[in-house]
Amino acid sequence: MTNKRIVNILIVMSLLFLTLIGYLTYFELALKDTIAQNPFNKRQWAYEEDTVRGAIYDKSGTVLAKSDDTGREYPYGALYSHVIGYNSTVYGKSQLEFKYNNLLLGQDELSQAFSLSSGKRAGYDLTLTIDHGLQSLASSRLGKRNGAVVALNPKTGEVLALVSKPDFDPNSDELTKKWADLIESEASPLLPRATSGLYAPGSTFKIITSSGAIEKGFDGGEYTDYGTVTIGGKTFENYKTKAFGKINMERGFEVSSNNVFCTLGAKLGSSELRGISERFGFNKMFDFDLSMSKSRFPQKDTDDAGAAALGIGQGEILATPIQMAMVTSAIANGGIIMKPYLLQRATNQNGFVIFENKPQQLYKALSPEVAGRISNMMVNTVKNGTGAGATIRGIQVAGKTGTAENEQSVKQKGKEHVWFVAFAPAEDPQIAVAVMLEYSGGSGGELCAPIAKELIEKYLKK
Amino acid sequence: MGSMFKMLSIKRPINMLVLINVLAFGLLFFYRTPFNFIVLYVGGSILALSVITYSIIYFNHLGDEYLFLIVSMLVTLGVVMLCRLDYTIGIKQVGWYLISICGFYIAYVIYRYISNLEKLKWVYFGLSIFLFVATILFGKNIGGAKNWIVIAGRTFQPSELIKILFVMYLASYFSGDRKAIIFKLQEKYLVSIITYIYMGLLIIQREWGITLLFFMTYFVLMYIYEADWLLLAGNAVLTAIVVTIGAMKLYHIRVRITNWLDPWSDIANKGYQITQSLFAIAAGGFFGKGLGLGSPGTIPEVHSDFIFSAICEELGIFGGVAVILLYFILVYRGIKIALILPNGFDKCVALGITIMFGLQTFIIVGGVIKLIPLTGITLPFVSYGGSSLVTSFISLGILQAISAKGARV
Repeated sequence: MTNKRIVNILIVMSLLFLTLIGYLTYFELALKDTIAQNPFNKRQWAYEEDTVRGAIYDKSGTVLAKSDDTGREYPYGALYSHVIGYNSTVYGKSQLEFKYNNLLLGQDELSQAFSLSSGKRAGYDLTLTIDHGLQSLASSRLGKRNGAVVALNPKTGEVLALVSKPDFDPNSDELTKKWADLIESEASPLLPRATSGLYAPGSTFKIITSSGAIEKGFDGGEYTDYGTVTIGGKTFENYKTKAFGKINMERGFEVSSNNVFCTLGAKLGSSELRGISERFGFNKMFDFDLSMSKSRFPQKDTDDAGAAALGIGQGEILATPIQMAMVTSAIANGGIIMKPYLLQRATNQNGFVIFENKPQQLYKALSPEVAGRISNMMVNTVKNGTGAGATIRGIQVAGKTGTAENEQSVKQKGKEHVWFVAFAPAEDPQIAVAVMLEYSGGSGGELCAPIAKELIEKYLKK
Repeated sequence: MGSMFKMLSIKRPINMLVLINVLAFGLLFFYRTPFNFIVLYVGGSILALSVITYSIIYFNHLGDEYLFLIVSMLVTLGVVMLCRLDYTIGIKQVGWYLISICGFYIAYVIYRYISNLEKLKWVYFGLSIFLFVATILFGKNIGGAKNWIVIAGRTFQPSELIKILFVMYLASYFSGDRKAIIFKLQEKYLVSIITYIYMGLLIIQREWGITLLFFMTYFVLMYIYEADWLLLAGNAVLTAIVVTIGAMKLYHIRVRITNWLDPWSDIANKGYQITQSLFAIAAGGFFGKGLGLGSPGTIPEVHSDFIFSAICEELGIFGGVAVILLYFILVYRGIKIALILPNGFDKCVALGITIMFGLQTFIIVGGVIKLIPLTGITLPFVSYGGSSLVTSFISLGILQAISAKGARV
């Protein structure tokens, strides 16, 4: 009897020791990186002093960030402030400088175990998926307007351009000079809008509503569009209350009829719409190279009026620009969303590849057939609908416009967010783009489509 | 020739000890210039001490030959780390090791050849109380805790010695008939009360780690020997209530708990020590920075309570796990010795000592890696400190004597 209890105690003691070992392993695998990078960690200061931080290149080798004895230098100033971020001894690190700090310092398990050399160490160089030409063009075309541009390769998930405005100069002298302004400014220049800004997607969400309608067999029939429609006691207007007369769903998509899509939204209902949105990545997170906000589709079921609003991308649906680029690339890539990524590879001083990223499937949103139908609708939107501004001679562009009401626009006209999402060439898509201008007023077709067009043209004709 | 070769085979644990010793001290010697020959003397001394003691145990059949081997590996690792941190305390630790081995033999001889030790229950209790009172009256305040006594210029921590007396007291109770009624109280209740008195006196000295260790040891022995499940449950419930109230009312407990849950919010002050420890472990990774290549000097108290963090930084989590596994086989050997003994005083003492080794390791290792709230206590056989090392070796000597008796039975 006593011995039996002694054996039990031996088992408990073994479990205690196993817990110690298990926790140490967990610490190493899950907690180590954040703890090591804590600004209070004196080891990190010493290590950084002794290391030449790795450079960062775009996909074709343009230097986007480099280090020398005087510190970190960003040759393109503000252009990559929301991608690469800053590396400051005073303000810490942000974006890629934060996320890949270990690689940039050449701090990984193996190098640590085998490094014996003295003198200054060299970190690893990072090559991004960014196309510097595209990034510059997107930034200059946004100009002083607040907004975001995201360009993806729909077949791989490579992020080709990622611009958020307003931006800031991350070079340390400038950062020190302007820090107080940056953190206090009402325009929130430190907010990476492309990945963390949440906006109502407006009519660009009709891509998702149409997908649901086709899957459920609600895509037939005719609608008579008088410019307004009343569902569940609530009246919805078309853009500029334009009436389109007798139209079907496809035509309704091309001209962005709220009559058609409010009706479809109510018919599908909020829970059906939520289900399909979540297949596109709403209410979900994945491990992107930068921290990002979760795009939201409301969790609560609504009545018909609420579902009608959801059908046109209003009513508490919030999406990041990168999310809408992912929705677009789902259509471009036969219903499959590839996982977006920014870091292509990390190489050491001798050009030896330490880390290489490979395309990965992230979500399966649609069947190829449904994606193909939506793709045709988007092509016609550019050919003879609201997306005409993105027409390029010789290249078939597929697109969708959006104008989204928000908390400011309900009080004051001309404060809507405007959107344009597109991909091209429609028959063999190489690039998917989302352009968003916040609180800009106007229409996505007029303001955003030309930007998308220029980006696509530059990317395909180079 | 053949047997000579066999002696040198890596399969013999003593050869592993020699190998580790030569490699580690060799590395420490060559790593820094100008070469510090003292490091080699230190390495040579502890190797000689370990090998001679092991040979005496091995060739004279003084019981379980592995106990001392495991422990001498731990001492070697400890001295390596101490020499790396500050070779002067490494030298002092070698001195303590020599004294400890004497203590080990003395404890062995006394325990093995003096009988009726189980009848001295009240002597153990009285001695403990005497030591407590002496500490409170003559104690010196070092590092925020009044738990040191200065004798002839040397500081000495009586609470370490009380650990052994406590085990002996509990063993003489649990192995006795347990039917006495003292002050109209059944003895089982009296033992509970006495344990709480011990704990209270330890708390006065701010010995949170040893307080916890006493409670856990008592609880485990009670689980093994006590038929009255109600008493066991009552103790558990009472302690839970006292700890909860203490956590709400007592500043010292609350600080420990908030510091455990979130040391990061007060990183510059209260959270400083534990976060420095975590930084060290994080720096080490799986393989470690390499001996002499880390910066464990940033952790306060790194040579005593926090030596495990230094081991993790320089020898890696694999090194840390190896240390944990050494304690695990020590506990396994100890419990194995207890299992084959007939019920009685020896069995209970062996259990008490072994459980204390194991729990003390868990309390401090768990504390410095932030698995459980941090309560200061030394890592047995590894941390710097005479009281701790000598006491641990006295306990080991007793365990060794019991194993020798067991082999004879």
